[in-house]
Amino acid sequence: MKKALLAAAVVALPFAAPLSAHANPESYTIDPTHTFMYWEVEHLGVSMQRGRFERTSGKFTLDRAARSGGVELAVETASLSSGDNVKGSRPRTLDDHLRTADFFNVAEFPRMSFKSTGVKFAGDVPSEIAGQLTLLGVTKPLTLKVERWVCRDNPMNKKPMCGGNASGTVKRTDFGMKYGVPAIGDEVRLWVSMEGYKD
Amino acid sequence: MEELLGHPAVQGGLAPFAVALVVALALFAARLGGLAIGAALATAVYLIGGFAFPPVSAQQKILLISLAVPVVGVIVDLAFKPTRAAGPVLGLMAGVLVLWVGINVLKQKEITALLFAAGGVFALVAWLTSAMFALRDDPVRAGAAGLTLGLGLGVSAMLSASASYGQYAVSVAAGAGAFLLVQMLLNRNIVAGATLTLSAGVACGLIAAGASLSTPPVPWYAAAVLALIPVAVRLPAPKSGVWLQAITVSIYGGIVALAACLLSWPEMQQRLGL
Repeated sequence: MKKALLAAAVVALPFAAPLSAHANPESYTIDPTHTFMYWEVEHLGVSMQRGRFERTSGKFTLDRAARSGGVELAVETASLSSGDNVKGSRPRTLDDHLRTADFFNVAEFPRMSFKSTGVKFAGDVPSEIAGQLTLLGVTKPLTLKVERWVCRDNPMNKKPMCGGNASGTVKRTDFGMKYGVPAIGDEVRLWVSMEGYKD
Repeated sequence: MEELLGHPAVQGGLAPFAVALVVALALFAARLGGLAIGAALATAVYLIGGFAFPPVSAQQKILLISLAVPVVGVIVDLAFKPTRAAGPVLGLMAGVLVLWVGINVLKQKEITALLFAAGGVFALVAWLTSAMFALRDDPVRAGAAGLTLGLGLGVSAMLSASASYGQYAVSVAAGAGAFLLVQMLLNRNIVAGATLTLSAGVACGLIAAGASLSTPPVPWYAAAVLALIPVAVRLPAPKSGVWLQAITVSIYGGIVALAACLLSWPEMQQRLGL
């Protein structure tokens, strides 16, 4: 019996070895000081207004050999910043207004999250991340196109890191954020600048 | 068993019937056999889709309740002769509803903050509902209270909390203002009843509570001042002439509403050290 098992293992070894050599998933933890989600939305049909969320956390995995990966991001919506945050004598800033139930409703839904469901690769770098965006308690699909992706050692601390930029578009009304449509655009472009260190 | 419970005929017919039969048999002696319908429907909901509904925001809950309350008001007016206990009981029911409305915000708070916030919004909604309901036989004062409460809350919410909360409150004021104007044009009272007073009281109470729980909030002291409006409109007013009476009591309510608006203005808050 033992001989038979040994023989089977010897026969299987050449097939198993390449698989174990290729399947090499690496886990990375998001660097919150270099990971931000940005938004862009049309205002009164005039300009495209931009802002970002200051606090994002999460993880991603990458298996360049097997061309697979995944990402999970959690964004604290109260950390939003439009650039207008000094109230002066006004009742409130644009940031204050964006935090209300008219828009991000941060008291009730303090977190927005993105969880990937599949990652496409171009060569050995990710090119498209399909996933689910949860905003205001509503979950809808969002596909992020990866615009750049680099893996290298940080030249200062020498730690292995990966990161890049990705963007996608959602309709805010799909998530129940209906205030001000169409004066304030329905279509919102989201960008992610992301860096993570290997665990 | 799972396969059996997944069958449409079981989900929609047999299981609800079995549960309803048990409920009817158990409760008929207490004259509550009619709850069999609710039990059957609840069984079907549980088996078909479950009770996990898509998340509804506090504001959506407020709108759903506020749109349903006028129907309750009509039923109260047409089918019941409210007793003395009706106001407090309706107030307590609305108070319980606001806890459901604000549950997503409340459950994120520390226990002390949770108790203060939950107790505060409960008291606010219960008070506004019962105090407005108490005005049901005085249509001029009821209209003036709805007008000034809606306006005061609307402006306060726009200044501090959310524009949409403000707009919804102002729409209540618009409705109450129209009701008041009809009386002024006819120069006689028309029936307010529970239909008007519950609609205004519950809607304004829930909007005030929602705005108080939002970020940034309507300050609690501004909400507390707004709660005085149903009392302010009870101050003495000329007995004859709907026009004069409507203007007088609207001024009473308007002064209180103005105080709440000023308390929601950041510059005033700084001056008062709030």
